[in-house]
Amino acid sequence: MSAQALKSDITATAPVPEASPFDRWLPATPATAEPDWLARIRAAALARVRSEGAPTGKSEGWRYTGLRTLLEQGFTAVDEPLSALLPEDIDEVLVSGLDAHRVVIVNGRFTPQLSDLSNLPAGVRISPLCTELAGAQTALADHLNAVAGEGAHVFAALNSAGFEDGMMLHAERGTLVEQPIELLHLSVGMDEPRIAQPRHLISLGDGAQVALIERFASLGDALYGNNALMEIRLGRDAALKHRRIQLESPSAFHISGVYLSQAANSRYDGINVGIGARWARTDLVTRFSGEYAECNLQGLYLAGDKQLLDYHLDVHHGLPHCASRENFKGIVHGRGKAVFDGLVYVAKDAQHTDAEMSNRNLLLSEHAEVDTKPQLEIYADDVKCSHGTTVGQIEPEMLFYLRSRGIPQALARRMLCIGFAGEIIDALGNDALAAYVAEAVGHRLEAVPL
Amino acid sequence: MSATPDDVLPGDTKTAAQTSTKAAQAEAEYGHLVKSEYEHGFVTAIESDTLPPGLDESVIAIISQRKGEPQWMLDWRLAAYRKWLDMPTPEWAAVHYPPIDYQTISYFSAPKKKELKSLDEVDPVLLETYEKLGIPIEEQKALAGVAVDAVFDSVSVATTFRDKLAEAGVIFCSISEAVQEYPELVRKYLGSVVPPTDNFYTGLNSAVFTDGTFVYVPKHTRCPMELSTYFRINEAKTGQFERTLIVADEGSYVSYLEGCTAPQRDENQLHAAVVELIALDNAEIKYSTVQNWYPGDEEGRGGIYNFVTKRGDCRGDNSKISWTQVETGSAITWKYPSCILRGDNSVGEFYSVAVTKGRQQADTGTKMIHLGKNTRSTIVSKGISAQHGIQSYRGLVRIAGKAEGARNHTQCDSLLIGDKCAANTFPYIEVKNPTAKMEHEATTSKISDDQLFYCRSRGLTEEDAVSMIVNGFCKEVFNELPMEFAVEAQKLLSISLEGAVG
Repeated sequence: MSAQALKSDITATAPVPEASPFDRWLPATPATAEPDWLARIRAAALARVRSEGAPTGKSEGWRYTGLRTLLEQGFTAVDEPLSALLPEDIDEVLVSGLDAHRVVIVNGRFTPQLSDLSNLPAGVRISPLCTELAGAQTALADHLNAVAGEGAHVFAALNSAGFEDGMMLHAERGTLVEQPIELLHLSVGMDEPRIAQPRHLISLGDGAQVALIERFASLGDALYGNNALMEIRLGRDAALKHRRIQLESPSAFHISGVYLSQAANSRYDGINVGIGARWARTDLVTRFSGEYAECNLQGLYLAGDKQLLDYHLDVHHGLPHCASRENFKGIVHGRGKAVFDGLVYVAKDAQHTDAEMSNRNLLLSEHAEVDTKPQLEIYADDVKCSHGTTVGQIEPEMLFYLRSRGIPQALARRMLCIGFAGEIIDALGNDALAAYVAEAVGHRLEAVPL
Repeated sequence: MSATPDDVLPGDTKTAAQTSTKAAQAEAEYGHLVKSEYEHGFVTAIESDTLPPGLDESVIAIISQRKGEPQWMLDWRLAAYRKWLDMPTPEWAAVHYPPIDYQTISYFSAPKKKELKSLDEVDPVLLETYEKLGIPIEEQKALAGVAVDAVFDSVSVATTFRDKLAEAGVIFCSISEAVQEYPELVRKYLGSVVPPTDNFYTGLNSAVFTDGTFVYVPKHTRCPMELSTYFRINEAKTGQFERTLIVADEGSYVSYLEGCTAPQRDENQLHAAVVELIALDNAEIKYSTVQNWYPGDEEGRGGIYNFVTKRGDCRGDNSKISWTQVETGSAITWKYPSCILRGDNSVGEFYSVAVTKGRQQADTGTKMIHLGKNTRSTIVSKGISAQHGIQSYRGLVRIAGKAEGARNHTQCDSLLIGDKCAANTFPYIEVKNPTAKMEHEATTSKISDDQLFYCRSRGLTEEDAVSMIVNGFCKEVFNELPMEFAVEAQKLLSISLEGAVG
């Protein structure tokens, strides 16, 4: 008997499990007032979660990202909204000097009393996803799961099965929102480990321009989880500036996905900063639905002691004349571990694609680890694609230069790290936000024995 | 030891064979074939002595017995076979082919005439075949001192320059001879770099390998000539399972060339070779390959499946292993010549040119595992994809926590000709040491209109211009090849790209 035959026997009889390790992540009582189409999406998502189960080290997307610690926490769904917070309670997590319309999501739920949408210009609508779903029964049927569909991984399906609330943002055709919109995920520790699964839907009409600042922060150093999913649809000529600042508590587990669909000539400019969380996984997925669209993804991650930060980028060029840029930089110290996995896929007819990927890493300590996997899959010939990766340490010459000018070793090293990170911080393009991130980076580096 | 037909299956093997009734039947059925060969002596026409298709423990026992192998070798093969049964076929590579039925392959095929002392004893018909292919064995002596261990199907039939090498103390022989004549060396090193359980194809190879080359270069010896083996696949439905083992002892140097051609075939042929290189302190091994097996017809029918595991172990300090490959043939190439940089200051190199056209698929690359201090590795991979060819670079650079001062530079460039081909790059980079320096660059492009226009305005035809540009693209790798090979490789590349442009 051949080895093949033996193998196929085993797979044929494998039963579909009735439960998954994530069942407790789902709310105990399903919402009753939900439309039929949503119930169908949830049922399909749940079936997928159950049949796939937790990814293992053998799944390609998870080979460097162990799920053991995440599963050990025994997370359960957030059961009731936390309504006791007053506006002054969140002062400590606000960005000083940031002038923005604000949406606050507390433990996965849209919290109007903390949000500030008083000056929202005409043409922009922001509302809690749950009220949208309860109000207009079919309005979102074509939107939800339209971008983060089949191809997404199991945590996206899990979010579809279990989300209860989130933000719905729609900018009408030609709307120009000058002030940025801030979306703050605030997590407050509960008596037991809870996981929130907010879902956000963003859609920009043709030519609309919006700046969105998405932040993850916490009150205290609590242990909690977030499995956030955002679906973005950009109309023709629309432009979205998207800043994502992940500063979760040091004990937190963070999973987030941004699924993006770009129509012709649209521009997406995203910057991801990852500093917090004990274990974080971020997926950025881009699909083009029109030609001449541009997608720019930048990132900065600081993985410290016993911290794991994982970024997965997936840009699919299915149409000609689109451009994508990926530029991620990382600083890893202590027993930190950073994972970067970028894929640029150029389909057969996507001629004149211009794609560039770069991932640069600074390793500061003996036990730090970087696993990087920049991939190109190209099926068209008239394209310009490249990628570059480096892993290294601080150049001794640079250090010598600074030290010869009387700067102590530790300070010199810190200066060089901040200089390395500066490229991304400067690109944030908002002074208040840049100052806030620079302070967070500086604060982190000060705590590191350099 | 040489086995007589009477001790067909020694004690232990019988026990193993009894576990399968099929094995016993096979023995009864084919045992007489083994005997008849010896009873009737030599035959003049070339007739391959081929085992019927199928694989079980008795087939392995017969292979081992025909090779006159000692018991330990048979045990080793059977252990590999038993593990292989539970192994999955690798499916991660970006190649597509119908599942292979390993029971339809014949695992042994040998020209009947054996134990030749010199070229005169080689069948003239066989020599003629070589000449048609442009491998003039007689002229090899004159040609730049290249010793040739020619392989016709699975058994070495001619070995030249043996004496000259013996003078230097270099052992250069077929692996089956080595098993008998140098069992202590083979036992020590065989499977020590690529264990039988490494992957599906190494498991299969370890169980059924029929021939290959063994090279041992003693301490402080520079091998006086470049060693070379030409492989040929000639018998329809014969899987080739070559096993090459090269050991460079302290302070020695050897350069080994491997080149392949194959005639047209109707059915896919499987080739699952294993190559193991071991470099001890201060030793250097240079391994060059030009592979031009039959790639199949325009629809991709009938080409060779080339599933090869090649790995070098820089076991000693200051050792160096360099792989250079030019891959133009085969329907499917699945090959990752790798280096384990174990010794301090050891160096690994990988230079590759791969061409896929028609329906060819290639998933190739390398692994550089940095374990020792100050280890250095260089990867230069050039992929050219035309027509419906699919090509992937898949490489791993791992810098372990103790590899202080490790250095890697990787460059992967792909050239696309036509809009139906594909070029993929899948690098894996794992760094666990802060003093490591690692760089990876990759580009994908096509031959630009400006380049073509420049050449054409100087009177070159489009085809010549493309050939020139492509050769320039690959120059970096060709420079690493020994002279004669470089010329051959350039010619091959031009021939391969004929008709692929326009």
